[in-house]
Amino acid sequence: MGSPLIRGNMFVIDQSRCIGCEACVQACEECGTHRGESLIHLEFVDRGATPQTAPMVCMHCEDPTCAQVCPADAIKQNEDGVVQSSLKPRCIGCSNCVLACPFGVPKYFALPDQMMKCDMCYDRTSVGLKPMCASVCPSQALWFGTPEEFADTRRGELMFEFRFGNQLVPTKVATVVNDRSDGPVDPLAEPPSRWQDDPFGLEEAFS
Amino acid sequence: MSTSGSTFRIDGRAAMFAGSAVGVLLVLVYVGSGAGRWFDAALAGYLIGVLMGVFAVVYRYLVWIQRPPTARLNRRGWESFRRKGRVGHNAVGLVGLVGTNLLAQGFIRKRSTARWAAHQLVFWGCLLAAAVTFPLTLGWVHFESVGQQGSHYKAFFFGIGTGSFSATSLVGFTTFHLLNISAFMVIGGVLIFLFRRTRDPGALAVERSGDFLALAGLFGVSITGLFLTASTMWLEGRYYAFLTNVHALTVIMGLLYIPFGKLFHIFQRPANLGVHFYRAEGARGVQHECRECHKPYASAMQVADLKEVLPAVGFDYRDNAGGNWQDICPSCRRKMVTAAQVARVGGFG
Ligand code: SF4
Ligand code: SF4
Repeated sequence: MGSPLIRGNMFVIDQSRCIGCEACVQACEECGTHRGESLIHLEFVDRGATPQTAPMVCMHCEDPTCAQVCPADAIKQNEDGVVQSSLKPRCIGCSNCVLACPFGVPKYFALPDQMMKCDMCYDRTSVGLKPMCASVCPSQALWFGTPEEFADTRRGELMFEFRFGNQLVPTKVATVVNDRSDGPVDPLAEPPSRWQDDPFGLEEAFS
Repeated sequence: MSTSGSTFRIDGRAAMFAGSAVGVLLVLVYVGSGAGRWFDAALAGYLIGVLMGVFAVVYRYLVWIQRPPTARLNRRGWESFRRKGRVGHNAVGLVGLVGTNLLAQGFIRKRSTARWAAHQLVFWGCLLAAAVTFPLTLGWVHFESVGQQGSHYKAFFFGIGTGSFSATSLVGFTTFHLLNISAFMVIGGVLIFLFRRTRDPGALAVERSGDFLALAGLFGVSITGLFLTASTMWLEGRYYAFLTNVHALTVIMGLLYIPFGKLFHIFQRPANLGVHFYRAEGARGVQHECRECHKPYASAMQVADLKEVLPAVGFDYRDNAGGNWQDICPSCRRKMVTAAQVARVGGFG
């Protein structure tokens, strides 16, 4: 299960642990492959209703939608499964990838008229270093390490699959769930209910 | 390394068109060189290289333009361009875009002035070199000496005489050294590119092997060309025969590399102009509202286009309720993924 590791490591995003501190947003800007531009996303899910924030990095899909809809062949996937940012000579700035990515990851920049996206800090992860965001995240919502380290220090199970309608999307980056057997993370599914409407069967008994 | 996952097969139609392009070129060589009279046999190797290069570039271009997203953009770009009542406006815009984007390449300057300068040097150097060598190789241009002194030449284009000049005049000197000038431009640009690379480890990490190959090829062609001049001017032609072969080999390899490597962007880049018209057309039309937050986030045309392109490349984002994940804006997608994940771990924290 899961995609091949980068030098024995894997990248895990556990959105539920995010505290919205924005350290990752700052760190992302320092990345050597896209200096000066922050490519990570961070926003409130629903500010009025919950303090939950939504961080998002590229999930490095096994079959990347972004690359498949790119008319210019500008998005390439390395042998290790990392989906690179757009090739600068090729990208023609059409924004197909921005609109089609199921996770809403690529960003279009008007001035160079090109797209840039998270490449898992390839200058760092390809030599075994943590991505910038994971190296500063205080709550370990963004985490990079070996499967053994994960098993030793974290709870929950790794999930490498998402479902969007009919489309199953396996990814290289993992997220965390309580129970993997409940299937892929599915934003369109009914949320699993954590309480029972009629715990003692009273309604049923008296109806 | 590729993301298409399709198995290799020959595209018969594309091969036919590529073959026709080679045929047309051969006819032009025949006509332009006066049925071969002015064709320079010493350049035969280059001619074969050019013909193979043309075949490969046309073939690759046609295969590329047929990919579903590319075909859709190609069609939409032209449709937007020809939109009734806007053709005049768009034609003027096109001239401007060719100038600012394709020739002056202002968008590269937005990223870095040094990169832009390097790219301009290589770009104009290559254009100049191509403008000189292609007509010579194809037999379209040749020189004849005028009078008895042997220092006056006349240039012929498709067999038609143009101005004559003295080899020692400024015009003569420049004409015979155009290729050296272009070589210096290309080498200058390549050196700036290489220098920038050594100082930018980030760029190095995402470097693809072909990137370096393109620079090495450009450098090889230019430097061996300069060696030829050096041999004639200062070494009384020593090593000339050997150097010609080396130079011819680098050029032919370069020509064959164009369709496969980084240099193919020369032919892909003009599609950016189509994107400009597509975008403008989309902005004038209906905007697509996000199904969740009800805010407009893209042109309805582009969202509809993607909904047709996605199944063609193997994706189905429709849901059972008759909706489509593609109707949700990127921001809402991110929030919904988070909400779904949070639910799977039993809540926040
Ligand atoms: S998450 Fe989006 S940007 Fe990343 S690989 Fe998948 S489709 Fe591409
Ligand atoms: S914006 Fe660039 S990378 Fe994205 S689909 Fe268009 S050409 Fe490809």
